[in-house]
Amino acid sequence: MSLVLSQIINAVMLGCTYSLVAIGFSLFFGVMDVVVFCAGDVAIFGAFSIMALVGIVFLQPILDAVFPHYVTIFLLVSLSSVTTAFLMLLMYRIVIKPFEGKSPLMPLLSTIAAGIALSELIGIFYPQGRNPQAFPQLLPSDVMIPGIMLSERNLIIILATIVLVTMLYWFVNKTKLGLSIQAVSQNKEAAIMIGINRQLSITITFLIGGLILGIGGFLVASYSNIVRFDMGAMYGLKGFSAAVVGGLGSIYGAIVGGMLIAFIEVFVSAFIPGGTAYASIAAFLVVVIFILFRPEGIIGEKTVEKV
Amino acid sequence: MHKTSLFSQNVAISILVSFTGCALLYIALIGPIIAALAVLILALTLMVVAERTGKVEHLYRALACHQGKSLTVIIVFVLILPLILSNNYLLHVAVMGGIYSIVALGLNFQVGTGMVNFATAAFFGTGAYTSALLAINFGLSPWLTTVFGMVAAASLGIIFGFPALKTRGYYLSLITMSLQIIFTLMIINTSWLGGPNGIPNIPAYSLGATSLRMPIIIFGMDFPYQANYLYLVYSLLGLAMFVALRLHNSRTGLAWNAIEQDEIVAITQGINLTKSKLLAFALGAAFAGLAGGLYGHYTSFIGVEDFDFSKSLVFICMVLLGGMDNPLGVVLGALMLTIIDEKLRDFADYRMLMYSVILIIILLARPQGLLPKRIRIYQAAKSIVNLKI
Repeated sequence: MSLVLSQIINAVMLGCTYSLVAIGFSLFFGVMDVVVFCAGDVAIFGAFSIMALVGIVFLQPILDAVFPHYVTIFLLVSLSSVTTAFLMLLMYRIVIKPFEGKSPLMPLLSTIAAGIALSELIGIFYPQGRNPQAFPQLLPSDVMIPGIMLSERNLIIILATIVLVTMLYWFVNKTKLGLSIQAVSQNKEAAIMIGINRQLSITITFLIGGLILGIGGFLVASYSNIVRFDMGAMYGLKGFSAAVVGGLGSIYGAIVGGMLIAFIEVFVSAFIPGGTAYASIAAFLVVVIFILFRPEGIIGEKTVEKV
Repeated sequence: MHKTSLFSQNVAISILVSFTGCALLYIALIGPIIAALAVLILALTLMVVAERTGKVEHLYRALACHQGKSLTVIIVFVLILPLILSNNYLLHVAVMGGIYSIVALGLNFQVGTGMVNFATAAFFGTGAYTSALLAINFGLSPWLTTVFGMVAAASLGIIFGFPALKTRGYYLSLITMSLQIIFTLMIINTSWLGGPNGIPNIPAYSLGATSLRMPIIIFGMDFPYQANYLYLVYSLLGLAMFVALRLHNSRTGLAWNAIEQDEIVAITQGINLTKSKLLAFALGAAFAGLAGGLYGHYTSFIGVEDFDFSKSLVFICMVLLGGMDNPLGVVLGALMLTIIDEKLRDFADYRMLMYSVILIIILLARPQGLLPKRIRIYQAAKSIVNLKI
């Protein structure tokens, strides 16, 4: 019983990290109709930027001396996610905006290329960047309830995701800016016609998406304890798969999809003998089956193509 | 203008163009990395200038009228390549360029149908693994196993092509990416496929009793064994090019492009979507499978890293650089990228960075590639000569 429970907690944590990336994909897809494939690499860049910040001598001790430990972590994560937010904006300017109104495959290819370029740059410029790096344990890992793996760290990962999603929900549904983003993603022309600043909505979406990705990167690095420069591609692909399985463009769909993929992966590797090697294969097979038989996702409306 | 003078002028142009192309490739091959990049930029500049001044139509017409002459120049160039290349390594690069060109030609069928396939490396790998395993475990002749590899790759192509019937665009790309990753993971996890260690000691092709992996002696001159493979690979590339060009100009090729433009319109025109799409996948995969077999029997070792996702991306890069849906451009793109890639061998850390930067620059600056796709002319080449210019 405790094995099942701890596996469920494990899956929920993994699902949280996938959901955050999937939310990023869904936000960008909603507002621009493009799949931004460098999202995973941007998230991993966030994790590396935290490592770089921690690596600065005296920065963490000074902060720790002034503030309580949690505030220090909060400051570090905020700083790095602001970096990723602006990085995402930069990506938008370089590899997404020039392809507006052209074949949708061009931004797909350019963002894949940008993601590889970003991860390779990490590999080249971060000291020993090509080796797996141990991620500094910023979150306390005291086990709270023995036997079911519910440590403080795990709780923080889950709570942080819930808080983030709630804030995003509030922003998208209750603020004027959030509503304008929704309007742009529902109907571009009509939104412009009623006087919505489309460019501003897109910029804000990319900033917020980048912020979420940065936090997602921090959480996934804390979860797995190890970061690699080329982790982003796989992480991004899982996040995109989660977004598609849940329903591309829907924030709730992203969470459902992320959880589904994480549960499949964790349960295949935990309960099928020799399943660890096949966990990713099972997850991707589910994605293929979903795209073939329910391309609109779990949550999502069927769209009929108009001529 | 007199017909005769126009005729001789066109002959001169077609010979000159093909000779320049060969010479530029040769300079890129023997020179340092700077030379290769300079050749690429020079070629692009020449193309842009030719397009701006409208000369490019003239060039194409001249080439179309005198294909035989330009073909002769290229054949002579390939034949004397072992003579004018100073070392075996450069020959090896040329052989690899030929192999990758065949793969890129295959991928071009799918791209021309509007399906960007991220699983080309899986087809390439299927050909290589099938051929290698059959040759090692059953002692079959590598010639025969290469054909089996092609068949296996084509079958996989049909399986991977089925999703294309139901989805397209992003969804199709995601499916091919997933399938590519599943392929890589399956190879790593399956011990009889060599797992992460790969398959060593793959037998070479042999003609009669002489193995192609032996140095040859022609007219009393010693040639390294790469020369054998150079001739083999480039004759197969010529065959592949012939098939690709014929298909491109046939109704099948036209149907593929119609599907790329608009699927619904294509259906209303009576194009059989299922048949066309599956054919594009099966044929493309067969090309990749052939190249895979050649690769395995040439290098005598295959490992899983030769067939992973980044390799698929490299193939897409080749097609984009050369020019989507232009078989000649695709081959040029594949050759150029292979040369540049091999030149970067000393800076291995920068290879993927370079690929991604090149891809972004092409997409931003010249999305139609080195040689853009052409509007088809459905008249015999002879009747065009008679047109007054």
